[in-house]
Amino acid sequence: MTQPILELRGLKVSIAEKPDIHIVKGIDLTIRPGEIHALMGPNGSGKSTLASTIAGSPMYVVDEGQIIYQGTDITAMSADERARKGIFLSFQYPTPIPGVTMVNLMRESLKARRGAEVPAREFLAELRATLNKLKMSEDMARRYVNDGFSGGEKKRAEILQMGLLKPDLAILDETDSGLDVDALRTVSEGVNALRRPDMGILIITHYERILNYIEPDFVHILFEGRIVKSGGFDLAKRIEHEGYDPILKELGITSTKVAEGAAR
Amino acid sequence: MATSTATYSETAASEAARGRGEPAWLVDARAEAARAFVATSMPSPALRPWKYTDVTALDVESFTPDAAFTPRVTGTAAAGGFAGSLVAALASHGEVVREHLGSVVPGTEGKFTAANAAQWREGVLVHAPRGQAFAAPVTVTVEGREGAIFPRILVVAEPASEVSIILRTSSPAAALLVAGVIEVVAQADSRVRLLIDTRWGADTREFTTLRAKIGRGADVQVGSIVLGGHIVKQTVEALMEGEGSTSTIRGVAVGDTEQHFDFVTLQELIGKKSSSEVEIKTALAGASRSVYYGVTRVEPTAIGASANQENRNLLLSPRAKADADPVLEILTNEVIRCGHGATVGPVDQDALFYLRSRGLDMRQSLVLLVTGFFQSVISGLDAPGLVEELESALREKLATAELE
Ligand SMILES: Nc1ncnc2c1ncn2[C@@H]1O[C@H](COP(=O)(O)OP(=O)(O)O)[C@@H](O)[C@H]1O
Ligand SMILES: [Mg+2]
Repeated sequence: MTQPILELRGLKVSIAEKPDIHIVKGIDLTIRPGEIHALMGPNGSGKSTLASTIAGSPMYVVDEGQIIYQGTDITAMSADERARKGIFLSFQYPTPIPGVTMVNLMRESLKARRGAEVPAREFLAELRATLNKLKMSEDMARRYVNDGFSGGEKKRAEILQMGLLKPDLAILDETDSGLDVDALRTVSEGVNALRRPDMGILIITHYERILNYIEPDFVHILFEGRIVKSGGFDLAKRIEHEGYDPILKELGITSTKVAEGAAR
Repeated sequence: MATSTATYSETAASEAARGRGEPAWLVDARAEAARAFVATSMPSPALRPWKYTDVTALDVESFTPDAAFTPRVTGTAAAGGFAGSLVAALASHGEVVREHLGSVVPGTEGKFTAANAAQWREGVLVHAPRGQAFAAPVTVTVEGREGAIFPRILVVAEPASEVSIILRTSSPAAALLVAGVIEVVAQADSRVRLLIDTRWGADTREFTTLRAKIGRGADVQVGSIVLGGHIVKQTVEALMEGEGSTSTIRGVAVGDTEQHFDFVTLQELIGKKSSSEVEIKTALAGASRSVYYGVTRVEPTAIGASANQENRNLLLSPRAKADADPVLEILTNEVIRCGHGATVGPVDQDALFYLRSRGLDMRQSLVLLVTGFFQSVISGLDAPGLVEELESALREKLATAELE
């Protein structure tokens, strides 16, 4: 059997500055090459926390469990080392960085990912090819990173970087939110165009919309820091029609913090 | 260190001036400045511009003036103009020098400016004649050694002239005191650009006053990039005397180790519809420190004036420190816009994680964030060709700075 891209083993996560706030409360998850997993769940269930933790955000600490990436325990590894090894996080809320152009960032990050200088011509050729593949214009690359971008532009800029960096594990955190139907289609087609058989993808969403374009092999429902149910694409379809409540009721789960769950 | 108190006395200063064959008016000015120097005590931290830079223990007289100090001037003056030695100009452009030297920064107004007026041995005159534009920037290179130097630069831009000056300063690791004075006379409709690239050695203490008198419709832009020096205090003042005069003061500094930077700006709006901008940004590593005191004064005559001052400080280490003290004194109700902003804080942790999640290590991420932070200032510098060099110098410094 091929080695998994990602394995989460009993992962428990809390906030670095508030260690008594436990957000992820024990997650096991295995993503193998070629697989697309969808992580769904209401707002506040811990999806972004899990995504940031896999990417190595210093804002969170792993209290228990391990993150195994391509057979290596990366639980203690810095975010940049993980990225260089091929983990890519498409942020739910990409951070604006005024004064730094997309081109500048992408050139630096490609250099880091490859561990070698990327000649200007080669970089430009790759950038153009990726822009074409994603049907994006060069204007985007000349602007300051996420600065003054619309919601849709931010998500497209994330996918552009993903296309250039060719990750082995892509985590797409609410890449569909804030997009209209056309933008959603473009972004989804972009992701599909960038897909490789040896990569793993974790799509995080609280709607099933994007899953109509990028069909997942597995769907997991995250609720209050735990995966409470896993299934196939039909599970996402069921959530589309019924919402989360009937499923939770069926599982005998009642929220311990209903009010908080509604906050976004 | 050998004491050289005698050198700083009135007698010594005027005798030396006479010995150099200076004209009588200058010998008198030397004597007057030396008298002021002796009579003036070191500025005390009780004075607001000196609040965070305590020089009371600094003994100017313990620094022996470097008699051989000579700034190097390269570049060709516009027809009928001049760019070169101030001493040579005393002979060839005596009238211009006599009319303007000390007219903007009097030799009697402060300890360091008096030391400069009494002690400068060689300086620079840049004279742009009426209606003429210099084809290329004039470069003034100041290479200090040890002891004390007194760089003196006089820029006279006659009506409708244009001149651009790049001042590069450096010194070795030896103890050096720099008391500089830069006077800019920007007459009606002239354009003056002055870019200062400060790369002193680790034991240089600089105290420079740059003041520009800006006439009707004239525009003066000053840019300062500070990378080197132990203490660098630059006072940059724009006197917006003429109607519709404009000025911009931009500054960027990267501090490291124990470096101490002190920027003082004055935007004095006097003429109608005059306008002035200040933007100073620092990034501070190690135990470096930056202080800023900026005054925008809008005189009752400055109807329709506008001004803004901004000072932003990025702390790259928990030991670094910055203080910002912007002041607005608005003496008319008829200003168009008058604002100020000052911030001191660490780098944005979200931005840092974002960059690291793209594979850039801590230092690469910080370097990128800092260059981005400086972009608004750097991109405004009117110095084509030089901007890239400055950016790479900034990056180079950050590549080894003490970050935590
Ligand atoms: N840095 C933080 N500080 C405080 N609370 C946080 C922080 N990060 C996440 N949380 C809290 O953890 C819970 C899960 O958040 P998040 O992972 O963003 O959920 P989701 O992405 O599923 O909407 C929420 O209650 C949120 O308020
Ligand atoms: Mg989220």
